[in-house]
Amino acid sequence: MKNIIYNTGYFIKEAKTIVKLDLLSNIFSVFSIGLIFFILAMVISGWWVSNQVIDVIQGEAEISIYFDDNIDSRATQQLVEEIKNIEGVGEVRIVNEGEAYERMVEILGKEATVLEFFDDNPFSPFIEAKINLEEVNNVLKEVDLLTGVSHVRDNRNVLDRLHNIAGLLQILGFLVVAAVGISTLFIISHIIRLGIYNNREQIKTLRLLGAPEVFIAFPFLLEGLFLTVGGGIVASILSNLAINQIYTQMTGPLPFIPLPPREVLVSGLAIMIVTLSITLGIGGSIFGLTSSKSH
Amino acid sequence: MIESKDVCLRYTDGTMALKDINLSVDAGEMVYITGVSGSGKTSLLKLFMGVEFPTTGSLNVLGHNMTKGNSSNIRKLRTRIGPVFQEFRLIKGRTALDNVMLGMRFLDLSPSLIREAANDALVKVGLKHKLLSPVENLSWGEGQRVAIARAVARKPSLILADEPTGNLDKDNALNILELLASFKDDNTSVIITTHATHLIEYEDYDKLIQMNGGNIYSESLGEAK
Repeated sequence: MKNIIYNTGYFIKEAKTIVKLDLLSNIFSVFSIGLIFFILAMVISGWWVSNQVIDVIQGEAEISIYFDDNIDSRATQQLVEEIKNIEGVGEVRIVNEGEAYERMVEILGKEATVLEFFDDNPFSPFIEAKINLEEVNNVLKEVDLLTGVSHVRDNRNVLDRLHNIAGLLQILGFLVVAAVGISTLFIISHIIRLGIYNNREQIKTLRLLGAPEVFIAFPFLLEGLFLTVGGGIVASILSNLAINQIYTQMTGPLPFIPLPPREVLVSGLAIMIVTLSITLGIGGSIFGLTSSKSH
Repeated sequence: MIESKDVCLRYTDGTMALKDINLSVDAGEMVYITGVSGSGKTSLLKLFMGVEFPTTGSLNVLGHNMTKGNSSNIRKLRTRIGPVFQEFRLIKGRTALDNVMLGMRFLDLSPSLIREAANDALVKVGLKHKLLSPVENLSWGEGQRVAIARAVARKPSLILADEPTGNLDKDNALNILELLASFKDDNTSVIITTHATHLIEYEDYDKLIQMNGGNIYSESLGEAK
């Protein structure tokens, strides 16, 4: 350990020399690793966003109950009370025409000007009921039986689809993580073995002088670490650019998708990529060193 | 320091490199091993360094029993040996000072002590002005001096020099032999192999071992000149 601390400067210098010996190939390796990590980052951010969307939608699970035009306010209030008594229903309230209009203005954002083309408010009042998602089928069945109910709107299909997408992304995420891990391990171990081969005379000399294997191996381990961390940084930059671009594209035309804050996503991904690159760099280097020693 | 009894070395291709080698080297001795190419000089040094191991017989170097299969034992032994390789084995792209320091970096010495020892050794071999020169810019003779500095800087118990006179002319060869001999002291033995038998008559030594066909055919004690 004392040797490693004493020789930190030497190890870094040696690792730089080893990288420089095959500079072009190492630059390509950094970009290859960077692209692999970028693919991983994109899959993970997709998974992250879809989970966030599902969470938000689930947290706000509610149904909109539209009633017949000919019922008066007393009957409407009666309907509200009846709905409240159904098992699985939480808060129930009436959303009048004006509030329905305001909500749509909020959802459409800049595009809300389209509503100005209507002479009258095109929205109808409705009853909004928060529900327990587990009870959705029962609630819908009972609401349908109530007198005065015209139709009910729920987001069950959307939720089911999102669930399916999230499940698929999760499986895809695991596969991509495994693929990225294995590819990076192989790339790094191959680079390390190449470095060892290029420096075989130096290694032989060090062994003849009595250098311990750890001392000989350390610069190669650092080389692997430099390359993967370099790849990690490339991937972080690309992810940042891509996410910025995607957010710009999505927040305009699709303002109702509840995306996680951009800064949280970008910094979370960067931390994950760099951690992963350090882990895979060390793992790949050890694998390369072990496999080249056994030959 | 070195004790060999009936040592034989047969390479994996079947070549018998050494036969019945019996010799002893005490601490502080200056020993020359001579013989024509292929007589077994380098193979003998390989045994002393643990690069090869005796096929039969017993060999003890600096208290280490030289048997195959104990790499950590061999590594420790090598840290006590100062080798001067026939082809120098300097690390390209590094300065003379870096090369000498490299031989000591794993010896549990502080960086300042390593630098000081490497610096002193290079000054002693006459390369004060070439400390920071990359080794590929040095002449053949200067490269050899760097290799000697790397061997002696770590204060070894045993200096092993394989054909250090190489193709040098007589004056330069004698200079190198004298330089190597100057590192002999009570604790450090020096063993030099050379095919240039004629040079040894000018030098002081404690033992002169002459080899032929993998055998020691003559061993004589030296006299002060």
